[in-house]
Amino acid sequence: MSIFTRDDKAHDTNLDQAARPRENPPVSAPPVAKPPQAIAQPLSKPAAPPVPGVSVISKALKITGQLESTEDIRIDGEVDGDVRGVSVTVGSGAKVKGTVYGNAVELSGTIDGKIEAEKVVLTSTARMSGDVVHQDIRIESGAFIDGCCRPGFGKNADKSAHPASRPVATPIRT
Amino acid sequence: MKPIGFFMTAPPLRTFRTAPRGQGEAEMPASYLGTALTAEGFLDTDGDIHIHGRVFGRVCADRLVLGSGGYLEGDVVARDVHIGGRLTGRIFALNVTLDSSADVTGRIFHHEVTVIKGARVDARMPWRPPSYFESLEQLPEPRQ
Repeated sequence: MSIFTRDDKAHDTNLDQAARPRENPPVSAPPVAKPPQAIAQPLSKPAAPPVPGVSVISKALKITGQLESTEDIRIDGEVDGDVRGVSVTVGSGAKVKGTVYGNAVELSGTIDGKIEAEKVVLTSTARMSGDVVHQDIRIESGAFIDGCCRPGFGKNADKSAHPASRPVATPIRT
Repeated sequence: MKPIGFFMTAPPLRTFRTAPRGQGEAEMPASYLGTALTAEGFLDTDGDIHIHGRVFGRVCADRLVLGSGGYLEGDVVARDVHIGGRLTGRIFALNVTLDSSADVTGRIFHHEVTVIKGARVDARMPWRPPSYFESLEQLPEPRQ
């Protein structure tokens, strides 16, 4: 019998006790330790947002500063600063103190500042203190406006100082 | 760190409760800052906040989750903090979890911390008793 040809059956029948531990893995091997990651996994995983790019500022959140997005923003809380998005929805009960720029702005809450958008919708619960620069506006009965509505959105795009003329949400840094 | 507009004064620090929210209390709706969003300034909430975009400034929340694509530059004050993204700054939290995709530079003031294998942590992790977080009315000046 060549040593290079395995003959397990022969070993089994021979009951070669010395050879056995080498042939079969030791039965009493310690259980493979679980990787630490497996132990730490049960930690609650963050729930994925409904749509990854869309942002929701809930009613419990107050932001003092600026918001910029290349996607939709829904505000139900309070923002003290400028908001720049594609479609900005200001929910009832929400408060924005600053300018809201966007392609479409729907206001059901309060804005104390300015709206600059292509399409503006003021719903019946809207309260707008300040100017509205728009191209297309819809005002529902019950909305409050203290300011003037100008259909000038995009007209002065050549003015480099015009904030709405620059691309929405330029990445500041990477 | 880039200073947040000098005209902006920091609102008073909203401290979090060290005790978890009771059963009867209304759940505060969570806020999601999507991947496309960049926020600069102070973010204060009593509820949860999920950050998947970029934030420059201070965030105070009950629970903060920084998603794996998120970037936060600034201070975090929260009861629970779960970091899956990149953070440069300080964390003041009772429970801190650094996920395997986390990349943290700064200081982590914590009571309990979990670091999952794979996290990149370049930070000091000073332990503090819960009373430290309860009496936290002003953040300490950042040290070099």
